[in-house]
Amino acid sequence: MLARRFEAAGLATTSISLVLEHTALLRPPRALYVPFPFGLALGHPGDAAQQRRVLDAAFALFEDTPPVLRELTGEADDDEPGAPVQASALGLDGPARGGDVAGEVSRMRQYQQHWVARTGRTSVGLTGVPPTRFRGLVRFLEAVADGRFERPRECPPETELPYFIRWCCDDLKALYAEARFVMRPEDSGDAVARWLWADTALGDLLRRVGQRLAESDDPLARQLAYGIAR
Amino acid sequence: MPRLDRLPAKTQAVLRAQPVAEYDSTPDAGPVRLAQARVALVTTAGLHLRADRPFAGKDPGYRVIPSDAGADDIVQSHSSIGFDRTATQRDLNVVFPLDRLRELVDEGVLGELAPRFLSFMGAQPDPEAVLAEAGGQAAEQLLRDGVDVVLLTPT
Repeated sequence: MLARRFEAAGLATTSISLVLEHTALLRPPRALYVPFPFGLALGHPGDAAQQRRVLDAAFALFEDTPPVLRELTGEADDDEPGAPVQASALGLDGPARGGDVAGEVSRMRQYQQHWVARTGRTSVGLTGVPPTRFRGLVRFLEAVADGRFERPRECPPETELPYFIRWCCDDLKALYAEARFVMRPEDSGDAVARWLWADTALGDLLRRVGQRLAESDDPLARQLAYGIAR
Repeated sequence: MPRLDRLPAKTQAVLRAQPVAEYDSTPDAGPVRLAQARVALVTTAGLHLRADRPFAGKDPGYRVIPSDAGADDIVQSHSSIGFDRTATQRDLNVVFPLDRLRELVDEGVLGELAPRFLSFMGAQPDPEAVLAEAGGQAAEQLLRDGVDVVLLTPT
C-alpha cells in the first residue's frame, strides 16, 4: 500500500512481495514475488549473488507498464519452512529446563563476542544495556516470571515497563542467536529457534515470562506477551 | 508457488483471514532512467538507528536511516516473532540491501542513493492508519530529498 501511496505522489516504485495472494489484490505498480520465507525478502544471508539477482529482477520491472507482478523463479528451496518454529510447538521437558540462566548467558556472551569481533556488528541493543550487565536483565526477567514487576533502574522513565520487558527478551534472544552463529554456523534460522526453545534455560525463562504477561491485568502486557513466546 | 501453503496452519489462517484492500487501478509515476535515478530504500522491517527509539506496539510511524549508515548502526525492533530474525542478524542485506545498492551505484546501474532511507514497522492491523499520516509524510520527505525511485522491502 505504501508503494501505491508513493507512486501517486510521483515517486516511481518497485516492491518485493512475500505473499503473492495479498499483492495480487493490492495491485502495486511493480512487484516481484519471491519464494523465500518471511524475514528473507532479498534471499539468504551471505548470498550476495542471490540478493543481487533479486534486485536485478525488481529493477527490471521498470521495463514494463504498471501494474506488473512477476514471480522470481529458480531460487526456491522446497524444504525450507516459511516461518521459524515457535515455543508452543516444542516440548517443555528439555535438558535445560529450570537451569541457571545467568550462567548460561555468561557462556553465550563469550561466543557472541567472537561474532562481534568477526563481523563488527551486533543486533543486541534495544534496551541500551550492555551485554556485560545482562545478568541483571536475567534477574529482572526471573522476577517478572515470578510475578514481581519491579521497575529496574535501566528502564528509561518514559518507557512503559511491558515494552522494556519485551526489549530485554529481544536483546537476550539476539545475543543467543549470535552465539549460536559461532557455535553452529551451519544452523538454519529454524534450527536456531528449536535450540533456543528446546535446549536452553533462557528459552524456558522466556516461556514463563510470556505466560506471566499473558495472565496480567494490564492489557498492554497481555498484548506484548504474544511477541515474547508463543 | 504461493508461500501461504508452506506456513504453519495457524499463521496461514491468520493471513488468509486478514482483510486486504482490493484496487481496480494502479498509479503510475511515469518512466524512469535508472542509471540517472536517485534511489531510496523503504522497508517495513522495523529497523532503526541504534540511538533511535524502538518501535513500540503497532507504531504507525517511520524512522529515518542515513543511507551511509553502517550495518552495526542499525537494529530491529519489529513487534512480530513470526519471521526468521536470524537472517537479518547474520546479514542486514536480506531486508535492507545497503551493500547491494551501493554496488549497483558503483556499477552505474543506478544513478545515486538518496541521503535518507526510511523504515516502517509491518504487521500493522490498520494499514490505512499508517498511510493516512506517516505514509504521506514519508512521501513528502522523499520528494524533498529529490528521490526518483523507491525500492520497498517487506519483513
